[in-house]
Amino acid sequence: METVERKPKSTPILHYVFGAPPVPGEDVVERYSKPVRILHWVNAVAWIVLFITGLLFFVPQFSGAAVGGWSGLFHRIAAVVMVGWAALYFVTSPRSALSGVREAFKWGRDDIGWMQAAPSYYMLGGEDTMPPQGHMNTGQKLWWLTVLGAGALMILTGALMWFFKDIIPGSAFMWSAFFHDVGFIALLTFGLVHVYLSVFHPRMRGIFWSMWGGKISTKYAESHHKKWYDKVSKGEGS
Amino acid sequence: MADKAILYDATKCTACRGCQVACKQWNDLPGELTTNRGTYENPPDLSANTWLKMRFTEIGDTPENLRWLFVRRACMHCTDAACVEVCPTKALYHHEMGFVAYKRELCTGCGYCVEACPFDVPRSGGGGGGTVTGVRTMSKCILCEDRITNGEEPACVKTCPTGALTYGDRSDLLAEGQARVASLKSTYPNAYLYGEKELNGLHVLYVLDDTPDVYGLPVNPQIPVAATVWQDVLQPIGWGVAGLVALGLGLNYVIARRKIKINSEEE
Repeated sequence: METVERKPKSTPILHYVFGAPPVPGEDVVERYSKPVRILHWVNAVAWIVLFITGLLFFVPQFSGAAVGGWSGLFHRIAAVVMVGWAALYFVTSPRSALSGVREAFKWGRDDIGWMQAAPSYYMLGGEDTMPPQGHMNTGQKLWWLTVLGAGALMILTGALMWFFKDIIPGSAFMWSAFFHDVGFIALLTFGLVHVYLSVFHPRMRGIFWSMWGGKISTKYAESHHKKWYDKVSKGEGS
Repeated sequence: MADKAILYDATKCTACRGCQVACKQWNDLPGELTTNRGTYENPPDLSANTWLKMRFTEIGDTPENLRWLFVRRACMHCTDAACVEVCPTKALYHHEMGFVAYKRELCTGCGYCVEACPFDVPRSGGGGGGTVTGVRTMSKCILCEDRITNGEEPACVKTCPTGALTYGDRSDLLAEGQARVASLKSTYPNAYLYGEKELNGLHVLYVLDDTPDVYGLPVNPQIPVAATVWQDVLQPIGWGVAGLVALGLGLNYVIARRKIKINSEEE
């Protein structure tokens, strides 16, 4: 446990958009290490580029941005950055990466309880109805599973269409396009939920900063991630 | 406007390949360096710079039963066009004169049309980059759009010395082709008018003296299932799901905010 020493550098305008970060003097605890935060933001930027250049395929009105095939180049660069950075992270911090992946598959009774209580909680509140959660709550695990699963699907079908276009039959190419689209829909819809909950949901305001500065208030940690907080406060690490 | 079409009569074609040259010339497509493969057929395949070529087929193994068949390879301008169906940016479209035209500036170079076409006609290229970068655009025959919209016939038809190629209203050519096939039937019982019914009607009709498969043409060309399921089922579902999620989140925002306000007022 530590306290914020210096005033956060961010401007009030950003506070208006993303909610207020932990105030100076507030007890905080580290939630995301720096490599994880960099991984997240590299991914986020690449995701946005991939999303926009991919959206041309859904919205004919945007197709003017295709500019003679150049959108495909940006799509590929973003894909290489996204996959390359994740691979780099895996190679440089294999232990942290593996435990991160494992987290998505740790499911228990509290996850069922969470899913039962969540709809009412996210609408009407009532912290006490929610079962205690680990480092990731059930919803975060669902999103994380989507990222891993749909991400693998995107890499597989994308590689097929990029590198093996001339080898695979036309029907395999068309099905790759189909499943690339399935992955797109999954990542788009869950991505919308992710951005909404981490930036705009009235009860989560300010939580955005945990992915920026890496810290969250102990108050938030205790009420939203009780099982994890108990471990951290006993010095057992995350 | 009445649909226009080309009628290609394989029985009148001598494979002089004048049409290939005229196509390159009118559309300003550069020639390609090729090597002798032991056949008059050249270039070996369609490409981004070769929109039309004649395919030569030899059938039979003795001089007595040898047949040397010529068939036109170029866009068939389908009514149910797989390329138009899969084109994500609507760069490919049906012109009001019936043929399949495209706007190159809208092409993302995705290559879906190349894979979906049952006739293996569209080609990617022309952007310089190609496979690795993805910077490329599709090209194919456009039925000499610039000529026919100005009342001229396509360059290939104009140059054909034997009358194997004719251009006109599709309905007229259909009648002409049917009459020709009927007269061929006495000598060639398998004579067939290709493109009358295929994919709800092609805008390039072939008079053949044998079944289409003999000429290497797909007997029952279809739009790939994946293309139909993807465009007509998955995409609308995607829009629906995304819309519902956005709506749900908006609703959640309003309700959650209101509830917080009520709670703070109660305190």
